[in-house]
Amino acid sequence: MIDTFLSVFRISVKAIFANKMRAALTSLGIVIGVAAVITMLAVGSGTQKSMEERFSRFGTNILYLRQPWDLDESITSPKDITMDDVRAVRRVRGVTAAAPYISSGFEVKYGITKTTIDVLATDTDIFKAYDWQLASGRQFTEQEISSYAQVAILGDSIAKTIFNDVDAVGKTVIFDEVPFTVIGVMKKNGQGGFGFDMDEGTLIPYTTGKIKMNTGWGNSDPRSLDQVIIRVGDFNKIDEIKVAITNSVRNTHKIHPLGKDDFQLDDFASFVEEAKAASKTMSILLGVIGAVSLLVGGIGVMNIMLVSVTERTREIGIRMAIGATSADIRLQFLVEAMTLSCIGGIIGIILGVGVTMIVAANSTSIPAQMSLSSIIISFAFSAATGIFFGYYPAHKASKLTPIDALRYE
Amino acid sequence: MSLIETINLYKTYTVGDVQVHALQGVSINIERGEFVAVMGPSGSGKSTFMNILGCLDKPTQGKYVLDGIDVTATNLSELAGVRNRKIGFVFQGFNLISRTSALENVELPMIYNHTPAHKRREKAMEALKAVGLEARAHHMPNQLSGGQQQRVAIARSLVCDAPIIFADEPTGNLDTKMSIEVMDLFTRLNKDLGKTIILITHEPDIAEYAGRLITFRDGQKVSDEVKK
Ligand SMILES: Nc1ncnc2c1ncn2[C@@H]1O[C@H](COP(=O)(O)OP(=O)(O)OP(=O)(O)O)[C@@H](O)[C@H]1O
Ligand SMILES: [Mg+2]
Repeated sequence: MIDTFLSVFRISVKAIFANKMRAALTSLGIVIGVAAVITMLAVGSGTQKSMEERFSRFGTNILYLRQPWDLDESITSPKDITMDDVRAVRRVRGVTAAAPYISSGFEVKYGITKTTIDVLATDTDIFKAYDWQLASGRQFTEQEISSYAQVAILGDSIAKTIFNDVDAVGKTVIFDEVPFTVIGVMKKNGQGGFGFDMDEGTLIPYTTGKIKMNTGWGNSDPRSLDQVIIRVGDFNKIDEIKVAITNSVRNTHKIHPLGKDDFQLDDFASFVEEAKAASKTMSILLGVIGAVSLLVGGIGVMNIMLVSVTERTREIGIRMAIGATSADIRLQFLVEAMTLSCIGGIIGIILGVGVTMIVAANSTSIPAQMSLSSIIISFAFSAATGIFFGYYPAHKASKLTPIDALRYE
Repeated sequence: MSLIETINLYKTYTVGDVQVHALQGVSINIERGEFVAVMGPSGSGKSTFMNILGCLDKPTQGKYVLDGIDVTATNLSELAGVRNRKIGFVFQGFNLISRTSALENVELPMIYNHTPAHKRREKAMEALKAVGLEARAHHMPNQLSGGQQQRVAIARSLVCDAPIIFADEPTGNLDTKMSIEVMDLFTRLNKDLGKTIILITHEPDIAEYAGRLITFRDGQKVSDEVKK
């Protein structure tokens, strides 16, 4: 049985390779379709994985306070998020940390290298909120914060890059032409929220970031923050605490009891929703491309198999004369269609893996992760396309009578 | 019981409004081990008759029993196994599969009766040896002469040990020398292996090789003589 299948398979491969160009053109649709499917699955599972990573890193105890990106039209003059909000939030029972958060990039020069690093302007609460640890040196002092001091705490990798293995504490770095004194170096901490990578970034006092540095930091009001990172002590009370925070921020913003919030308080769940929404658009796009390409590819396979059946009618007649049953003939053309689409599938997988790697390397907002199951699934898709669209031509071949097939000119 | 027995076979083709009566009541018995030549003018129904005997086509009317099997009562795709086990075909145009080596062509019938690969190879090689072409096993059909191609086709008809060989003008595309080669081969298969051979030809010289001569005219058998 396996012997028979192998012979049938060999015959198929031979028939396909007799028309290499035709086979290549035919399987192009499948190639693109499978590549799209595999990238789609990778984006899906990558999003899943990055969610899980964030979850395990920060737990579910983190809340984010910020201005909504799509503001309700009825709110005419929304208040910025400022230190007043930070202070109000800190007074809420159950909140263990509330850190101001403003992010931007600095140009940093060392030796002959010039690069841009991520900067997070904040205060010492960020350590409590994200549970970050120092490797050496110290955190900002109250005095440094209130006096707009030009001090910086460097991430693990960036400190190593700039100062090699020498301890950076006490040294000076030039950010955007302005000298900063390094007062601390972080332990290896990894990703913070919103794509900020602490290992490659630096912390400075929010005051310095906001006022001293005139580098086009976002909002017009010099006191406004991007957001506030809030940590709550007990996850089980998170809903109560959210209500309390909302009320206290509404107070500082002096919002009428019937007015709408001019801010947004996100918890882990809304964060997940957002990330999913971002990757969903991409997934839908890829899904549509995949489906259309597989459809086009499938029709291509069907077309070429119909041509092949016609071209090889005499061969079918010979095979029937020497003992092939209708089922044998059908199997042969099905295997051939499947082989054709699986070759396309394999090329598509290679292409898809390549595209996924490029996406993963170049985009932080769309995490992509390759998995064995996505390779298997997309391969199965190509095989299924072959079977589905190869069935009709194969069936047509099997319905020929030996004598008609043999007489065919 | 005869190996082949037909009773009153009729075959009518309908092309548009025209009916062509290709066979009009043919009854024949052929015994095991016979070597039969079929002759007759073009269009007299020889090929039609042979295609029915070879289970490639069915009569419009009449009965055909092959080695105890009532062919007329069985559908054509079910007859694939019968063709495989009992019948070998040799055609005027050789009908080898192109881009497939001589050896693989000979192996082909055994794929359809699920012979294991190594056994297939062995038997195909044996059959090629029997027709004197073992040295050409890996040649493609287009690298062989007509006579050699026809011998490959004969090897293919032998390989499943089918007792009957049908040959429709097997020397039609061959020159005299190659025809003699092929006819000598048929004679050997008939004498040494006891194959029943039924062969259509236009040439009296070729018919000479057979032990019995049946003549057709207008879809009917007009003579049937056994040589002494
Ligand atoms: N498929 C077909 N459809 C219509 N008519 C057919 C078909 N096959 C054969 N015929 C007709 O049946 C008759 C017998 O044909 P057949 O091929 O059996 O003759 P033949 O004796 O083999 O002739 P030849 O010696 O030329 O090969 C002819 O009149 C032919 O035109
Ligand atoms: Mg004929």
